[in-house]
Amino acid sequence: MECLPPAASGRLFLGESVQLTDEEKRILDGKCGEPQRLALHVLAKLGEACGAERMVEIASAHLVASSYQIAGEAGIEIYTQLVVQGARVKVRTTSDPGSIDFARWREFKTPADYAARQVKISELLDTLGVIPTWTCTPYTTFNVPRFGEHLGWSESSAVVFANSVIGARTNRLAAYVDLCAALTGRVPCFGLHLDEGRKGEVLFELDPDLSANFADHFFPVLGYLVGQVVKDKIPVVAGVRRATSDQLKAFGAASAASGSVALYHMVGITPEARTVEEAFGGRVPSERVSVGRREIEAVMEQMGGATGPVDVVGVGCPHASIDQMRRYAALLEGKKVHAGVELWICANTVVEAMARTMGYVATIERAGAKLMVGTCHNDCPLGAWGFRRLATDSGKFAYYTPTTVGTECAFASTEACIQAAITGKVERR
Amino acid sequence: MSAGQVLQGRGCAAGEFEGEAVVSSQPFGFWQGMDPQTGIVIDKRHDACGQSLTGKVFVFPFGRGSTGTPGIFLEAVRNGCAPGAIVNVKSEPMIVMCSLLAEAFFKVTIPVVDGLEGDLPSLLRTGDRVRVNGTTGAIEVVARG
Repeated sequence: MECLPPAASGRLFLGESVQLTDEEKRILDGKCGEPQRLALHVLAKLGEACGAERMVEIASAHLVASSYQIAGEAGIEIYTQLVVQGARVKVRTTSDPGSIDFARWREFKTPADYAARQVKISELLDTLGVIPTWTCTPYTTFNVPRFGEHLGWSESSAVVFANSVIGARTNRLAAYVDLCAALTGRVPCFGLHLDEGRKGEVLFELDPDLSANFADHFFPVLGYLVGQVVKDKIPVVAGVRRATSDQLKAFGAASAASGSVALYHMVGITPEARTVEEAFGGRVPSERVSVGRREIEAVMEQMGGATGPVDVVGVGCPHASIDQMRRYAALLEGKKVHAGVELWICANTVVEAMARTMGYVATIERAGAKLMVGTCHNDCPLGAWGFRRLATDSGKFAYYTPTTVGTECAFASTEACIQAAITGKVERR
Repeated sequence: MSAGQVLQGRGCAAGEFEGEAVVSSQPFGFWQGMDPQTGIVIDKRHDACGQSLTGKVFVFPFGRGSTGTPGIFLEAVRNGCAPGAIVNVKSEPMIVMCSLLAEAFFKVTIPVVDGLEGDLPSLLRTGDRVRVNGTTGAIEVVARG
């Protein structure tokens, strides 16, 4: 998200910078109820602080404070207050992962009182009219944006996917600001909602060797590298020749974790970057970064260079697609997860159901791996497991699990991660 | 800086607060950075680790903002252990959103001022008593710590 503009007077809240429509004025006057009034008040103040000239209507919202880990008791209080006031979301609104696997939380050793608080949030969100998707990849099924559409989303990996891969427009909203967007169907129009705010800033060029030999697991590594360099600026990546939707998902999630990338352009691949020139929109790159095999190896080491024994393996961050489920099942066919190792595959309920129908879940479970549905290693309290070393193919997991799960991290390709689950140790990247 | 001097920043979220400063030269993320039950900094890589932010004027260069930031921040507000004011070199929208949400949902005003130039620890020191005005952007040093 673009940062705050300079304010010459030293005062920001002049109250006049955001032009409101008649309907918005009615909402602020309380004519549409207290929840909408409060929500629009927050959004208008944010708009003033960020130099928005108006509000913009959104097609959908996606809420990050759906997990008890993020929302906590404060969230339960906020949602309860809104329910009592009769609030309902005004646009299609989906929920991010929760902090439990609703069907199997006991298997994941979640404390019962903790699970009960997540269930409470679930009931409150139901009453508000939120679609209980419990996924960080709502864009695959339930909440599918269109090119150019304005959104009010927060989950960082979904924001970067919607902006970059689809070409929809959303700033990286915060917990509860996304809720304000859902309640009013609006967000302040600044940053990534504007053409000017979507132009590339930093150019990354893959050297010819890397470009010609770009492995599947380099996507999250490159994303991680890019995020570290640009922080919250807009990167343009040139030299990636082809990419699947899952690879772009992995790249974006890593860049949004190690930095706070909310939009990237990948030349020849993402819709607003048919050429380098188009990606920069006439702007001159503020920085050029050349990336070769050596840089990739160095960042991979930083993400988790540990080798040797692991006790937990995490794949499906962001939540796995049906293609990824097929891949996991093929790798696990006829194999057994090593004693003392947990292999958990994170996905949403729709992909779970389809994978079950297609027989992938049976193969996965026969091998002794588990599906972790509607949540993930990062969102769930895992203290009871005492894990020490996690292997993952996700840049986002690699960034967060040292703190959330308290483990050392070994980053490796999907194949090497599944292999590590089978042998009990990471032997290769 | 001596007592009585005023630093001029830029008001990002309205309100007035006077309290003791906790000054850091490192960026900070509330998500996984502060325990919302105690208000104590828990990020082991951070120079303010172990310090309580409850009722303090928290001075740090800029936020490292996970989108979950207001979750932790509002939990601290609810528990009465959030900072009383925030002063930055550059406030990202995430910090401003935290303040706006605290006011909207918990009726707690937490002024935010940014735009301080230069090395924060040379301007303000931990233990200084300062008065922050989130509307005018003025930060007055009431007493040196």
